Amino acid sequence: MDELDPVIHAQARLRIMAALATLDAGEQISFPRVQELLDMTAGNLSTHLRKLEDAAYVEVAKTHKGRTPITYIALTKQGRRAFEDYMDALRGVLGAQS
Amino acid sequence: MLDPAAALALLDDQRRSIVGQIASFVPAVVLAWGFAWLLGFIGLWLIDGLKPAFSLPLPIAIGVFVVLLAAATAVSVVLPIRSGRGIRGSSSGAFTGAVYGMTWMLGSLAIVGFAQGLEFNGMDPSLANIFYPVAFALFAGIMYVLAGGIWHAPPMIVLGVWTVIVGVAAPFFGYPTHYLVLAIGGGLGFLVLGIASFVHLSRLRRRVANRAAHRG
Repeated sequence: MDELDPVIHAQARLRIMAALATLDAGEQISFPRVQELLDMTAGNLSTHLRKLEDAAYVEVAKTHKGRTPITYIALTKQGRRAFEDYMDALRGVLGAQS
Repeated sequence: MLDPAAALALLDDQRRSIVGQIASFVPAVVLAWGFAWLLGFIGLWLIDGLKPAFSLPLPIAIGVFVVLLAAATAVSVVLPIRSGRGIRGSSSGAFTGAVYGMTWMLGSLAIVGFAQGLEFNGMDPSLANIFYPVAFALFAGIMYVLAGGIWHAPPMIVLGVWTVIVGVAAPFFGYPTHYLVLAIGGGLGFLVLGIASFVHLSRLRRRVANRAAHRG
């Protein structure tokens, strides 16, 4: 039985991973937009994104739109794989219980 | 620690909430057209529909219809563009969306051109009152079915098929009753779907918020 990845298996980070997984490969989403879609505070989102970035599940690209700094976020390939593995592990745990 | 069943439920709800929010412009567009059809076609019906008891002056009926049409068109152009704000990088999805959007314009121009061609060949102006709204209804219905197929949205397919049926049926009620059929069958159908979609999405968002709140 697979252990549930502790980086993902926490409420806020699970929500972030689930949200980013809805994007196509190659798509990136801005910090304000994903914050709006997740209905999280900026501080909360930042903290958890940093943990996901440290695990190399998420890539954060800081760029500029004119003179305004803007941050774009996306799952890394590794992050996508980790999320797929996590979902399989979840279903495995639930399958074993039922 | 987060319970596995709760984690899976949260994960599913969150994904559907995100997709629903990004696609939330769809029910808004559907509602805008629902109002345009319902009020616009009832106005056109009232030109001759309640004679001799009442007759809505032609300029007012046309004016109201044009304003509603312009407003719904503006909503249909602006909201889809806004829905993609803050998201960059996808080329395939953008291509599909752009082609789909252009097809609306292409088809609308083609219908107007075709009507001109029919009038050139002797189509009675009174027949144009039937041709225009029904042609647009059939076109819109088919475009909605295609949208449902492309973006995997069964409710849009249902709405599209229903609109085509209403469009085909309307002429058999004769002028001006065909306007009433389009207003009620078409307009109400759009409104029902638009409202149901809004309710569904807000329930989904509330469920995600509740699940998130329970785990602090």
